[in-house]
Amino acid sequence: MSSSRKAILATVLALAAGAAFAQSAVFHGIGRPATPKELAAWDIDVRPDFKGLPKGSGSVAKGMDVWEAKCASCHGIFGESNEVFAPLVGGTTKDDVKTGRAARLTDPAYPGRTTLMKVATISTLWDYIHRAMPWNAPKSLSPDEVYAVTAFLLNLGGVLPDDYVLSDRNIAEAQKLLPNRNGMTTAHGLWPGKTLGNGGKPDVKAVACMKDCVAEPSVASFLPDFARNAHGNLAEQSRPVGAQIGANTTVPAGAAADAARERR
Amino acid sequence: MTDPNSQSHPAAGRVQKAPENFLDSVGVRAVHGEARAGRRDFIRNAFATALAAGAAPAVVAQVNPVPAAGGDASILELPAHTKGLGLGVATDGYGKPSKFEANVQRRQSPGLTQTQQSSVSFAPLQSLFGIVTPSGLHFERHHQGWWDIDPSKHRLMINGSDEKMVRTPMVFTMDELMRLPSVSRFHFIECGANTGMEWGNVTVPTCQYSHGMISCSEFTGVPLKVLLKMVGADTRRGRFVLAEGADGSSMTRTIPMEMVESGEVLVAYGQNGEMLRPENGYPLRLVVPGAQGVSWVKYLRRIEVGDMPYAAKDEAIHYIDLMPDGKHRQYTSIQECKSVVTTPSGGQVLLDKGYYQISGLAWSGRGKIKRVDVSVDGGRNWRTARLQGPVMDKCLSRFTLDWVWDGKPALIQSRAMDETGYVQPTNRLLRTVRGTRSIYHNNSIQTWLVQESGEVKNVQLS
Repeated sequence: MSSSRKAILATVLALAAGAAFAQSAVFHGIGRPATPKELAAWDIDVRPDFKGLPKGSGSVAKGMDVWEAKCASCHGIFGESNEVFAPLVGGTTKDDVKTGRAARLTDPAYPGRTTLMKVATISTLWDYIHRAMPWNAPKSLSPDEVYAVTAFLLNLGGVLPDDYVLSDRNIAEAQKLLPNRNGMTTAHGLWPGKTLGNGGKPDVKAVACMKDCVAEPSVASFLPDFARNAHGNLAEQSRPVGAQIGANTTVPAGAAADAARERR
Repeated sequence: MTDPNSQSHPAAGRVQKAPENFLDSVGVRAVHGEARAGRRDFIRNAFATALAAGAAPAVVAQVNPVPAAGGDASILELPAHTKGLGLGVATDGYGKPSKFEANVQRRQSPGLTQTQQSSVSFAPLQSLFGIVTPSGLHFERHHQGWWDIDPSKHRLMINGSDEKMVRTPMVFTMDELMRLPSVSRFHFIECGANTGMEWGNVTVPTCQYSHGMISCSEFTGVPLKVLLKMVGADTRRGRFVLAEGADGSSMTRTIPMEMVESGEVLVAYGQNGEMLRPENGYPLRLVVPGAQGVSWVKYLRRIEVGDMPYAAKDEAIHYIDLMPDGKHRQYTSIQECKSVVTTPSGGQVLLDKGYYQISGLAWSGRGKIKRVDVSVDGGRNWRTARLQGPVMDKCLSRFTLDWVWDGKPALIQSRAMDETGYVQPTNRLLRTVRGTRSIYHNNSIQTWLVQESGEVKNVQLS
C-alpha cells in the first residue's frame, strides 16, 4: 500500500473512531470511571469457572464451628431443618457422588428436594454463602469462613471427608464430586436468547379447538370442604360490591351463598 | 331464544317487566308516535324487533327489588353527603383508596413460607380492573427483606467479567441516570413460580393465590443498551449480563445479551408515573420484559458483562424446573402465554342467575396476545372473547365476554394465544411433558366451577 493511500486510510479510520466517540459523547458529563477500590468492593460474583473466587481455604472442622455459631439456628445442626428454609442436606448417596446425578430426583414419592440434591455448581454455594449469609448479617463471613462452611456442608452430605480443607486450589476437584453435577439441562425453549437452549421452541403444542373439543369433562381435583377457610374468610378478601362478592368461608358451603345474598 | 351462550343474543332469565330503554331513541319516538296514532300493537312488534336485533333484553329477576315503601330508602332518604359539606382539597397529600375498599389487599398464602422476609404476597386480581396494577397492590417477592434506600446514595456500577469486556467500568448516580433519555413502557411481571402450587392438584381457593404473582405497570427508565454503549461493552464476546441487587441477598441473575440489544431491557426508576415503590426495588430495578420476575433485579447496584452464564443461586438451586427424568431445566426465563378468568373466579358468589360479564387477563412473554377464547362448559365449546385495547407487547391484556348464567353448574376457562401462534395448554398436556414437580412455569388453563348455589370453586379437570 502506498504511503498516500495509507494516510487516507488512517484518516478514514480516525473519522470512524471519532464518530463512535461522538456517539457516546452525546451523554458527556454523565457517569465516571469506577475506581479499582470500588470495583473490588462490589464485584464479588464467583462464576462456575471460578472467575472471581478469592484465594483462601477452610477446613471441615472450622466450618462446623462457624456453622454451629451462625447457621444452625435456621438450617439445623445437620443442615436438615425445614423450619425456616428448605433443607440443605439429605437425599444424596455415595452412588450419586460417583454418577453426578441425584437418583432420588427421579422418584416422585421422595418428599422434598434439598440444596445438595439440586445444585450442580459448587461456585453457586460459595458465591451465595459469601454474598447473602448469614441471613441477618449478610456479607459478614470472611473468604476463609466461606470455604470452611462450604466444606462443612459438603461433608454433611457425605461428599467431602472429615479432614478435608477446601481452598481455591482444590475447589475444582470438589466440584467433580457434587452429587447432582450432571443434573442440569438447557435443552428447553425458555431461555430468551440464542446462546443457550433450543432457540425458544416451546415444548407443547396445544390446538385452539372451538367446538365439541373434549369428552365430557370431569372434576379431578378441588379444595376439600375442611380447607375452605384455610386462607381466611374469603368474604373479607373481595370488594363488598360488584358482580360477585366473596364467599363467607366461615360457614359451610351452600350456606355461604345464602349468607352473601342476605348481606345484600 | 336459541343458544343461551350466544354472544349477540344474551338470553333472558325470568322475565319481569320490560325496561324503557330496550328501544333506541328512534324506536322510542316511533312508539310514542304510533301510540298517539292509536296503533298499540306496534309496541309488541317493536319489542320483538328489539330482541331480534340483539338489544338489551328484558331484565331477569331483580337483585334490587322495589321495597314496600314504594321506593329505595337510598334514594328517598337523602344521605348526609348529599345534604352536608364535604372535605377540602389536599386533606390527604397523597390520596388513599376509599375506606370501603379495605378488603382489596395483597396477601400472603398461609403456610407457604416460614419467614416474612423471604416470602411472597399476592396481588388481588379478583378485585382489579383493566390491566394496570395499582402500585400499592403490586405483588411482592423478597429474598432477604425489603429496604427503603436513600436515592442520593444509590449507585449503579457497570463492569466486565474481565478487563477487556468493557472499555471503561463506570459508576452512575441516580441524578445521572435520570438525566439520560428515558422511555416508558407497559409490561407485566410474573414470578416464575406463579401458579406453581397447582401443578399436581388444587391447593388454593382464589385467583389471588393461584395467579396473583403477576402485576402490570408502566415502567420508566433508560434502556440498558444505552448504558452498555457508554461503557464500551464488547457485546461480540460478552453475550451474558449479570444483574445484581444492593439488598442483603444481593440477588443476581443472568440475562441474555440478545434481550438487552433489542432495547427492551430497562434500568428503571419509574412505575405508574411515580418512582418505584420500595417493595418493588426503589430507587432502581431492572425491567426484563417477558422474563420471569426474579430476573427483574431490584435495588439494582451492578451490571456485569460476561462471556458465560453465572449459575447464581436463583438459577442453580431455585428457579430450576424439575422434569420427570430427574433433570432440572436451568436458565428457564420466558413466561409463556397464559390467561386466567378473574371474574367470576374461585371464592366468589354469583348472587343470581342472569347476565354476567366474564372478564380476565391474558399475557405472553413472547409478544402480544392475539386471541383469547372462553369456555363455560369445561373446554368442550369455546367462544372468542373481546380484547380490550391497546394490546401491547409483553403486557397484560384484558378480555371480556357476555354470559348468561342459567343457574346450572358451569366450568369456566380461558385459553390465550399469542402472536407467535402459541396456544395456552391444558394442565393435562403440560403434565405429559413436564410432570407435576417442576414448580415453575405453570401456564396451564385455569378452571373455575360455578356451582348451583352460586359459589365458585377452583377445580382441575381430568
